[in-house]
Amino acid sequence: MKTLETQELTKEFPGVVALDSVDFNLEQGEIHSLVGENGAGKSTLVKILAGVYKPTGGSFTLDGKTMHFHSPKDSAEYIGVVHQERELVPHFSGYQNLFLGLEETKAGFLQKKTMVEKSKEFMKKYNLEVDFSQPANKMGSAQQEMLTILKVLFRNPKIVIFDEPTAPLNIEESEILFKLIHDLKSQGLTILYITHHLSEVLDLSDRITVLRNGKVVKTMENKGVKENELITLMISKKLENQYPKYDVDIGEEIFSVSNFSHNKSGLKNVSFSIKSGEIVGFAGLEGSGRSELAFSIFSGKKKDGGEIMLKGNSFVSKSPGDSIEKGLVMIPEKRREEGLLVQMTVKENLSLVHLGKLTKFGFIMNNQVRKFVNKAISKFSIQVSSPLQVVRTLSGGNQQKVSVGKWMGENAYIWIFNEPTQGIDVDAKTEIYKIMGDIAKKGSGVWFISSDLRELIAISDRIYVMKNFEIAGEFTPPYNDEEILTAMLGGKYSD
Amino acid sequence: MIDKKFNFQQLMTKFGTLLALALIFIFFSVFVQGFVNPRNLINIIRQIALLTIIAEGFTMCLIVDELDLSFANVASLTGVIVAGFIFSGMNPFLAIIITLLIGGSFGFGAGLLVAKVGIPSLITTLATGIIATGFIYAYTKGVSLYGEMPESFLALGRGSVGPIPSLVIIMAIIIIVAHLFVNNMKIGKYLQATGSNKIATKLAGINTDKYIIIALTLSSLGAAFTGILLTSKLGAANPEGASGFMMDTFAAALLGMTVLNKGRGNPFGTFIGALMIGILNNGMTLAGAPYYMQDITKGAIIILSVTITSLQAKRLEAK
Repeated sequence: MKTLETQELTKEFPGVVALDSVDFNLEQGEIHSLVGENGAGKSTLVKILAGVYKPTGGSFTLDGKTMHFHSPKDSAEYIGVVHQERELVPHFSGYQNLFLGLEETKAGFLQKKTMVEKSKEFMKKYNLEVDFSQPANKMGSAQQEMLTILKVLFRNPKIVIFDEPTAPLNIEESEILFKLIHDLKSQGLTILYITHHLSEVLDLSDRITVLRNGKVVKTMENKGVKENELITLMISKKLENQYPKYDVDIGEEIFSVSNFSHNKSGLKNVSFSIKSGEIVGFAGLEGSGRSELAFSIFSGKKKDGGEIMLKGNSFVSKSPGDSIEKGLVMIPEKRREEGLLVQMTVKENLSLVHLGKLTKFGFIMNNQVRKFVNKAISKFSIQVSSPLQVVRTLSGGNQQKVSVGKWMGENAYIWIFNEPTQGIDVDAKTEIYKIMGDIAKKGSGVWFISSDLRELIAISDRIYVMKNFEIAGEFTPPYNDEEILTAMLGGKYSD
Repeated sequence: MIDKKFNFQQLMTKFGTLLALALIFIFFSVFVQGFVNPRNLINIIRQIALLTIIAEGFTMCLIVDELDLSFANVASLTGVIVAGFIFSGMNPFLAIIITLLIGGSFGFGAGLLVAKVGIPSLITTLATGIIATGFIYAYTKGVSLYGEMPESFLALGRGSVGPIPSLVIIMAIIIIVAHLFVNNMKIGKYLQATGSNKIATKLAGINTDKYIIIALTLSSLGAAFTGILLTSKLGAANPEGASGFMMDTFAAALLGMTVLNKGRGNPFGTFIGALMIGILNNGMTLAGAPYYMQDITKGAIIILSVTITSLQAKRLEAK
């Protein structure tokens, strides 16, 4: 019996179709895994089912009834979601988190004893051990995860969605989780499981659905399915000219990092190099240390070992400003939080970095700023109604171009692009690749971090794969997608 | 039709506060005798001069998205300090400079604590404000300072150039300087950038710590200058002399954020905010409204204006 069915479920964002006429279903009492590359539409689907997004087309039914969720609150009694980010109140104890919003009161007074007892009773049902008297932030990672799951189950849903649940867990903790998921199944719950770890998918699921570019590629029974079969289905074949690649003569090494360690972020003995004219890709899952590596070097965090050389000189930086002066710039990952002043104008954003050079006696020379800004707008083909347009009102792609364009005046040796194409439309992506190509052509090096393996393979002259805060592999063309994916995802237990 | 309505809405959010100012002005002109005559109008401007100056300093804090709760205490402290210097026979120019340095050091110290140690500005400036009050009572033992002051010092607060009071001239200069500083100078842009998004500004290579310290120092300098002018105006100094500026300064600067749809602190807006407060105070006093009615009205207007700003912000978010 189908408990959940979607009919041509579609979600469009400006410029992007995140979910394209998806027909998908869950059998009552099964464990169903959803796999696909970043941007394949997994999280969009989950967010629609959880009531976070409203679909722009199609519908879905629960036990034959068409549902219209307006908020996560509406969906919680039908579909429980165990999110990657745990939704716990840090200073609240276990039972307070469990009962959040459902507190038992008598004449307005909280009934602590009753709630603690009920919490313990409820926990027994699932053979779990959680210390309910502890505040959530004093709990270990696994305990927090269990509490999060209990909190979801406490709302008594029929379907439970797990979104990358093992990311913060070690192997033993993961085993406990898998056992719990099997227990839930045997109690009649339906499970939708989302993960990047294909070995988990094959171990756990009854059925598997592969998504690609917002569409369902295939739904299959988990019988004799192999990892590389899934990978082949996940990888999309896109048009060549979407990824412009310039012919650039690669020169000598201009940036090298040897045995770099930064204990606080967990980076261990990282070594890599970038040559003049080279685009060097950094692949890896979220939390593999790609961003932390770039951030800690760029922002001048004190290293715990290793050496960095830029243009033949030892590179020691105290702050982002210091790095920029020495010739290392970074376009940050979260453009709205880290890359842009969203309430300020395009003009103010584009001229921010360069302002010092457009100033006389401390006064801004408006004419020169205007010229500089207009040049940046045309060079990066940023679509604006006027330079005085507020950045917040631009599309994602144009915002990203502003985030890149503000570095125009700098003659940096190394440009870090951290997820530059995330959440922007195809045309804007292509233009970002062109910008990176132009930078390489001028003899600078590009340090290109991305979760989109397609673009990494198409654009990079060399690819490093990061895993567990270490370099897990280095690849050169012709690339073998499967090898890279294996280095990224590589069975969690196999090694 | 729809297009027109949309434009009207845009106009309202942009010029709403100015329109409200005009309406209040017209209301008092029609219903309150003696409101519109040149002497009263100059009087209003003179009455808001000190408020505007102290509020312009506070605006610098709002621009970097920090708060300063100490400015009124710092103004009171510098008021008694400069009085003490003058009574001791110190050269007025020197007295003013030293007093400004003392006042500015409060903001500088608070700025260091906020930027380098990471204590929220609300807490830091609450503490430095209390310390300032402590110094006042240590210095004055709680009594006002009276005595002879040289004309050269009194001219600052009491003099006039033709019909225009010197305080009004000083205020005008401060507004213009603050406006140019914030909008036409690099430091001003960096203050705005810091307040708009500290992380992004830092990652753009700008030392945001420095600009937070500058903003808090400017706030204290504005307060110190106000304290000096207040003593010059009164020819005496009271331990709590500037405490009345606290609420009106918040009101003026917050109202200022709504002017011209800026949604953030700006020197011109702060002047408009102070003007609104001044007109309300003056008009209601002339109309014989009881003092408490003035407070109630001012409070209501602040809520109204801040509501408009946050609704604007929400609408923009939704876009």
